[in-house]
Amino acid sequence: MISALFTQIINPLAVIVPVLLAVAFLTLLERKVLGYMQLRKGPNIVGPYGLLQPIADGVKLFIKEPIRPSTSSPLLFLLAPMLALTLALTLWAPMPLPYPVIDLNLGVLFVFALSSLAVYSILGSGWASNSKYALVGALRAVAQTISYEVSLGLILLSVIIFAGGFTLQTFSVAQESTWLILPAWPLAAMWYISTLAETNRAPFDLTEGESELVSGFNVEYAGGPFALFFLAEYANILLMNTLSAILFMGASHFPSLPGLTTTNLMLKAALLSVVFLWVRASYPRFRYDQLMHLIWKNFLPLTLALVIWHLAIPIAFTGLPPQL
Amino acid sequence: MPTTLEVPSMQELKVDEINVSSAVLKAAAHHYGSQCDKPNKEFMLCRWEEKDPRKCLEEGRKVNECALNFFRQIKGSCAESFTEYWTCLDYSNLTELRRCRDKQQVFDSCALEKLGWRRPELGELSKVTKVATERALPENPYHSRERPEPNPVMEGKLETAKHGSRMFFFGW
Amino acid sequence: MAGSKVKQDMPPAGGYAPFDYKRNLPKRGLSGYSMFGIGIGVMVFGYWRLFSWNRERRRLQIEDLEARIALMPLMQAETDRRTLRMLRENLEEEAILMKDVPGWKVGETVYNTDRWVTPLTEELFNLRSREELVHKRFGFTWYV
Repeated sequence: MISALFTQIINPLAVIVPVLLAVAFLTLLERKVLGYMQLRKGPNIVGPYGLLQPIADGVKLFIKEPIRPSTSSPLLFLLAPMLALTLALTLWAPMPLPYPVIDLNLGVLFVFALSSLAVYSILGSGWASNSKYALVGALRAVAQTISYEVSLGLILLSVIIFAGGFTLQTFSVAQESTWLILPAWPLAAMWYISTLAETNRAPFDLTEGESELVSGFNVEYAGGPFALFFLAEYANILLMNTLSAILFMGASHFPSLPGLTTTNLMLKAALLSVVFLWVRASYPRFRYDQLMHLIWKNFLPLTLALVIWHLAIPIAFTGLPPQL
Repeated sequence: MPTTLEVPSMQELKVDEINVSSAVLKAAAHHYGSQCDKPNKEFMLCRWEEKDPRKCLEEGRKVNECALNFFRQIKGSCAESFTEYWTCLDYSNLTELRRCRDKQQVFDSCALEKLGWRRPELGELSKVTKVATERALPENPYHSRERPEPNPVMEGKLETAKHGSRMFFFGW
Repeated sequence: MAGSKVKQDMPPAGGYAPFDYKRNLPKRGLSGYSMFGIGIGVMVFGYWRLFSWNRERRRLQIEDLEARIALMPLMQAETDRRTLRMLRENLEEEAILMKDVPGWKVGETVYNTDRWVTPLTEELFNLRSREELVHKRFGFTWYV
């Protein structure tokens, strides 16, 4: 009874609550960083330094009237944001921080598969809104996400060859002597750009497209359902950066001090997230054909070639990791 | 022909078991492998040849005896350093040996000093070994039914077919 | 057209003087070649560190596997005895349970053979609580 309570309620909550808190403060951080980069202050009224702003935002969003367009598909319209947040939070389960909530043998594949499923929530919401702006925005987002998943998958493959396992914990063992970003920095660069595109962030935020699509797949959403989408989006951003940190800047695990790994890892993830914001503040939006050309004409051939290269090199120099 | 299952009585199965946890076993594993090499190999050979656990109970008893003796010797001579070593392993998440090299060093030197046990080199325990045994090789361990006699050797002159094989249309 | 009155605006004889239209930014930072070289160098260093560590990891794995090899006879002997003990207990229980059934042969196997058949876990734990069976099957899993 007690163990069931722990495994099914307290353990997941112990991850979900910090993640949601981190997401809340990430939105504040984003507005602050963008503000200072544009020589203004960002939110600074609610609470000291605007620290209570995300809470105020959340309260506002959830007490707002949840508008349901009369022509929409009512069930799917509400299911899509719920699916989005559920997926975004489930993705955190196999993350080694340093001990995962569920210890999966094929953790990398699990994360990859679930992050691919997120397109269905976008597609569903865009279609269920029964609005052409939402539909076109959703189609754009889905096409982009699926395209960039190709390069993400191939990069993962190369990295898995280096680390020797699909378990996320193997990556922390594999990187005890050197970060994988050193031997595989071209991959790391492409990975980072692909995560930008995968999470529909600037400069690849064509789904938002304020001038043409008014805000993409979630135009028709307001209040609570919108808040769910918002949380899901930022939870995904944080997750992608945590994953990047695990894959390329692994945090060593000392059994006597597991908290050190957590701090180490999340510091790196926070750093990567700030670079996400920096990129958003600095770069103009891509054109859609440029976006597609970047992945299909540059990243795909490069990553394919690098997969072969990274298979050949460890075999040639007998540097293959142990296979359990 | 349905047969009845024969199981040895509880008396025959009564053996002093080793009641230690996984960390203790893993900490002692390498020394144990080299010290109790003989009964271990004997047992494994028996188990492999007989394909029946009921026929290797005696060998298994010897394995346990040796292990018990082994742990008693550790307890008598190197109890302190050994306890420290396996406690370290136990606290190292996945009982990884590499996390406790310093304590392993202390235990190894104690074992060498007081018991004369040398830690086996890497690769020594996984070598293929021949075992000299007195146990007779079992006949028909799989209880297979009788096989027919092999065909008699063909008399007469055998020649290759004149036009090659007919298996393929392109025989030559 | 010698008598044309129109005077066309033409460049001065000999053309205009050359003027500077090139982007004129100060060269700063490393040259492209050296950046390329540093990039390759970092990769080579990374490969070297990674591969030597991977070889060491393979050695550590062999050490781990040898520990398992050393312990295997002990574990096997123990498991064999435990299995046989449970079978014996099951047989005794069966004799008590089925004593009223005429023509029941205790310990009759379902297999048409004399050779040893490793009993299924379900068969061993048939007369025990479900919890024990679950513990036996899922109690120790290295990874899911």
